[in-house]
Amino acid sequence: MTNDIWAVADIEGGKLKSISLQLASKAAQLAAALGGQSAAVALGKGAQEAAAALGATGVNAVLVSDDAVYDAYLAQPATDVLAQLIQQRQPKAVLLPATVTGRDVAGRLAARLGLGVEYNVTAADVADGEIAMVVPAFGGQLNVNATFAGDGTRLIVARQNAFAITKTGSGATTETIPAPAAPANGAKVSGPFGTEGATEEGHMTTVNGHPQYVPPPSRSNVEEAAIIVSGGRGVGGPEGFADLDALAKALGGAVGSSRPVTDDEWLPHHHHIGQTGRTVKPELYIACGISGAVQHQAGMQTSKYIIAINKDKDAPIFTFCDLGVVGDLKVVIPELTKLVEDYKASH
Amino acid sequence: MHAPSPPAFPQIWRNPTLKIVVCMKETPSTEVPKSLGADMRLVRNPSDTIINPFDEYTIEEGLRQQEKLGGDVIILTMGPGTTNDPMRRALAMGATSGVLVSDPALAGSDAVATGRVLAAALKKLEADLVLFGQSSADAYGGIVPSITAEFMGMPLLSYATKVEVAGNNVTIEREAEVGYTTATAPLPALVSVAKAINNNPRYPSMKGIMTAKKKPIETWTLADLGLDAAQVGAGAAKERVTGATPVSTQRRREIYNGSAGAAQRIFEFLVENKII
Ligand SMILES: Cc1cc2nc3c(=O)[nH]c(=O)nc-3n(C[C@H](O)[C@H](O)[C@H](O)COP(=O)(O)OP(=O)(O)OC[C@H]3O[C@@H](n4cnc5c(N)ncnc54)[C@H](O)[C@@H]3O)c2cc1C
Ligand SMILES: Nc1ncnc2c1ncn2[C@@H]1O[C@H](COP(=O)(O)O)[C@@H](O)[C@H]1O
Repeated sequence: MTNDIWAVADIEGGKLKSISLQLASKAAQLAAALGGQSAAVALGKGAQEAAAALGATGVNAVLVSDDAVYDAYLAQPATDVLAQLIQQRQPKAVLLPATVTGRDVAGRLAARLGLGVEYNVTAADVADGEIAMVVPAFGGQLNVNATFAGDGTRLIVARQNAFAITKTGSGATTETIPAPAAPANGAKVSGPFGTEGATEEGHMTTVNGHPQYVPPPSRSNVEEAAIIVSGGRGVGGPEGFADLDALAKALGGAVGSSRPVTDDEWLPHHHHIGQTGRTVKPELYIACGISGAVQHQAGMQTSKYIIAINKDKDAPIFTFCDLGVVGDLKVVIPELTKLVEDYKASH
Repeated sequence: MHAPSPPAFPQIWRNPTLKIVVCMKETPSTEVPKSLGADMRLVRNPSDTIINPFDEYTIEEGLRQQEKLGGDVIILTMGPGTTNDPMRRALAMGATSGVLVSDPALAGSDAVATGRVLAAALKKLEADLVLFGQSSADAYGGIVPSITAEFMGMPLLSYATKVEVAGNNVTIEREAEVGYTTATAPLPALVSVAKAINNNPRYPSMKGIMTAKKKPIETWTLADLGLDAAQVGAGAAKERVTGATPVSTQRRREIYNGSAGAAQRIFEFLVENKII
């Protein structure tokens, strides 16, 4: 086995996901600490275009293939090519994204090659020549320290935002890798469908006779989002969610809500967070006009950072936040959006 | 611009010998605080064992498919089976029968060993359609389905928000960042069901609870599956737990009073904590 570390990129619909750059950055860092070489692997439509961004993280090489087979079938072709490369080149570890595809490929590789796999990893560093990891367990109540034993490439499935992106800008080499044949009993993909009504911006609509604000799909998946701007009854009505959506857009996050908001159809139901809704664990949860009932808390209490904005200084949310603002969200949110936009424009 | 319509599903096919197998994990209730013992394994209390909440959607989906297609729904679980309460509850919801794979040698099995055992049991059952949950609520792995699929040499349609069997194929829908995609594979195949399928898992009826008491539950050991103890359990696991620390729920609780200047303070907080 070498001391090389690889990162597998996640590309959806031709677009490179940010987690790919996080994994590539970590691969470069771990390989440097171990005295090995680092590489990023990008497969499918958009792989060639992604090579430059992946290379800028500091990895030594980018292995690419934009063959159509990777997008035509679920997981199997990616497994075939990675299994072959791992056997030939024996990297010490392969980092994969904790996305549906990343997990599917990691599971298949572990089974096919008899490798150890650690998933939901939130930290990885080198200690005594081995990779030491942190994995949250039991709904975030415990942080488990984990490592690997024995020989064989280590498979590490890492969470979104576990690692910071580095930009060293060094010149990575690009290598085009061959594509496998289509799998005989493969799961064949078609679509996307249902994109007709999907706009890139949020908009107002009417549902069951009630006005509703519909955030765009890119800000609708609270379970995957690293940042959630969440609103409660204090937002005042569906129109008020346009301000929250603008902040979510500036932060690259999603829009969430308390239950009364979706009960009253101010937002579509999949935004509802809490005991009876979705369970989320983002890096940052901004609760705007949410009182902080236990049923809401149950769905978001393991967020890394919680910021609350509420007019009522006695609102329960202030007992479990990192930063609480006793103030009017209608004033604070637009100002904050502007500050974030300006900062991002200059960085 | 209009995207093409999804394919229409052909005529429904009923098959009295169809075998739908639902893989169900017994998990500790999420209500109870957790700790690790000296052996670095979860301290289990048999009385707080429940059906993995994500698998309730899977059982519901299995029952709905059976109502449409015919055949049997078999619950497959690997675990200590200390109480069998989760299995009985699944049978009370309407499943036909249960298989429990239980063997002292399985203690400490990792996801790869779990997939190896489930694959062996599924082969023995000659399953046509295998359903999984999106993940277990204790480990949040979501990885046992793909491991099992690989050991079986079969396709896995993961994260389904809709499942349709037609002819010899199964087709799923999966939410994409915009809209949704579909994936189709020939049977036999594995499907993992996303919680977003939102299919309102049924409560067992009084009659269901009564009939469940007489439904068969078979217990299989490693020997029944032709597996070697060296391939499973703690000894086969390549991952090692070296320690654990409870995560503090204590928060900083810095309070800023008033709207004026509040946005600036939040912005600084985001920069200080490297969120932006
Ligand atoms: C069985 C059960 C299950 C439940 N499940 C859930 C669940 O999953 N999720 C969930 O969220 N709830 C759930 N609930 C409901 C829960 O108990 C609360 O009623 C709900 O969370 C309150 O929502 P809210 O915070 O948006 O509204 P409120 O409690 O009405 O709070 C609104 C807040 O907005 C503040 N505010 C008003 N105007 C402004 C302004 N301009 N600027 C700043 N702040 C302002 C107010 O001070 C107030 O604190 C459940 C209840 C039950 C009984
Ligand atoms: N011990 C087990 N017995 C039966 N099914 C299991 C077991 N472990 C995991 N599964 C199945 O695999 C799915 C994903 O589990 P996991 O990979 O542990 O998150 C679960 O929802 C179950 O359907």
